[in-house]
Amino acid sequence: MDNNNLDLSSIWKQQKVGQPNIEELTYKLNQFKKSGLQKLIITNVILVITIGLIIFIWNHYQPQFITSKIGIVLTILSMVIFVFFNNKLFSVFNKIDYTKSNNEYLLDLILLKTKQKYIQTKILGFYFIVLSLGICLYMYEYTSRMTTLGSIFAYSVTLIWIGLNWFYFRPKTIKKQHIKLDELICEFENMEKQLDSKE
Amino acid sequence: MVFEDIYKLYYHKIYRICMGYVNDYDVALDLTQETFIIVWKQLPRFRNESSIGTWIFRIASNNCLRLIEKEKRVIKTELTINLIEENQESIEPKIQMLYKYISELQETDRIIISLELEDVNQTEIANIVGLSESNVRVKIHRIKEKLKRKFKENGQQ
Repeated sequence: MDNNNLDLSSIWKQQKVGQPNIEELTYKLNQFKKSGLQKLIITNVILVITIGLIIFIWNHYQPQFITSKIGIVLTILSMVIFVFFNNKLFSVFNKIDYTKSNNEYLLDLILLKTKQKYIQTKILGFYFIVLSLGICLYMYEYTSRMTTLGSIFAYSVTLIWIGLNWFYFRPKTIKKQHIKLDELICEFENMEKQLDSKE
Repeated sequence: MVFEDIYKLYYHKIYRICMGYVNDYDVALDLTQETFIIVWKQLPRFRNESSIGTWIFRIASNNCLRLIEKEKRVIKTELTINLIEENQESIEPKIQMLYKYISELQETDRIIISLELEDVNQTEIANIVGLSESNVRVKIHRIKEKLKRKFKENGQQ
């Protein structure tokens, strides 16, 4: 065959393709529906467990000060919000319109990933602040019964630990998340540029 | 249009487009299935603003573009293994070559040429990709030249 007459379309269509299997797809669709329901159940179970845990600690340790009570609620809520956001809320936020043109879709993806970067950082910051605040408030009742030196020591150790998290682990996690997202943003931008070039 | 009819009508086309994008049998199958799951989810929202074909091809190509997010490393490292598997899949070396060459193009070029080879008209391609028709025409011409040159270089004429 002459190279100029090479019929690409005909070669293209000779690719072997398996037969469409509607049963298999129906099975996958059912799985998909089931997993959506499962996720909803898990989310609700986590919520119930959290509330149960708060009530249990409240009853079992019988804190006298309001600071301890607020502390318990803040500590547990911070963890739940963090887990929730990473697993459930993010998938809601992650929704994007697949029916737009490639060009518009890529622009949406870039925007989404940039937003994701911003929100992830904020949520992580929020988590650390609320968690630290919760721990410090909870400690107050018990340290107030200690000697001054004892309470200074207890708070110092806690604050050092919180500081280590804030100044070491938090930036490290953020950096890791950013590298991954920046890589993706860069790839999507490159694809978008392919469509942008005026030829 | 009923989902089952759409599935049967577009299955082969969508599979070939995905295959052109990744040149990997299993990944193309996954992408095809994912596409139809999205189609199934979105179908109640289809408003006839574009043809059903344009609508489905948009979903399929956008899903391909997003592949990098899910399996970037897997695809890059497993490419050689997949090519060996491909040998068993297609008898004609020309078919293998064509799909290999297409999967080596820039991402959006892969989509454009796949749609062209699938006989989608250029106005529709422009609509799917989000480029002007003249831009699409120029791009298709260049991609075809590139592919033919690659065939020539490898003695497959």
